[in-house]
Amino acid sequence: MSLQYLKEAVRDGDTEKLIRYVRLHLGDGNEAAGRKEIDKAWIEALKLLLDVPPTDREFINDTLKEKDAATLAHLFFDLHFYFVKHSGAWIHDGTL
Amino acid sequence: MAHSNDTANEGRQLRPGLWATINERYPGSMITKDDFVPLARPHKPLSEARLSFVSSAGVQPVGTLPFDVAHPVGDYSFRRVPSTATPAGLEIHQIKYPTHGALKDLNVIFPIERLQELAAEGVIGSLTPSLFSFIGYNMDPERFERTLAADIADAVVADGADAVLLSPA
Repeated sequence: MSLQYLKEAVRDGDTEKLIRYVRLHLGDGNEAAGRKEIDKAWIEALKLLLDVPPTDREFINDTLKEKDAATLAHLFFDLHFYFVKHSGAWIHDGTL
Repeated sequence: MAHSNDTANEGRQLRPGLWATINERYPGSMITKDDFVPLARPHKPLSEARLSFVSSAGVQPVGTLPFDVAHPVGDYSFRRVPSTATPAGLEIHQIKYPTHGALKDLNVIFPIERLQELAAEGVIGSLTPSLFSFIGYNMDPERFERTLAADIADAVVADGADAVLLSPA
């Protein structure tokens, strides 16, 4: 999908096209795999918090407060791959 | 098969059927170029030419900032790879092609040792000080052409290249 295709989808409010792109991107061209990958990242993040370990809440708060939305969006994608990798179930061919 | 010195193919997009295939899998990805630039003809024998190499394999010197494989629109930066480098000093950061073979022998995707051998044997005159690599996952062909492609082209020219080997991953 081209960037123009995605921008037109944003303009038209066509979330189906956008969701499909995100799944394709995260699933290496496989939409179903991408959907599972998104779930996998969330499950991995959830698992890490079930025992309520100490976390750097101040860092999180400062980051959300101080960084711009685009940087946080970029971080969001990085975090997806981080947790997918952390899960140990890596479907991608290459490495981060 | 199209050939670089086949004048019948000059000015035409090579492998037009490929675009239809990509567009079927990734709707909206069709890329058309009305100002397709024909390949340049060599102006000196290869044995006297300084060759550069440009690859979309995501190869980079160990320790340099990894290519941004997470960004949904792509990474528009490139890395210089010293042409004297050894595979041990290089690594791959990308997630869009199988790297099993390349991790065993980097030359299958980034043939730096083969190029060094060709230079040593005199098949090519020499290599440019740097070879160049980027990741092929880029969603914005206009930005790609205006920034990354132009930046690499400038760097290749500045390195004194007479010819460039382009290799998609």
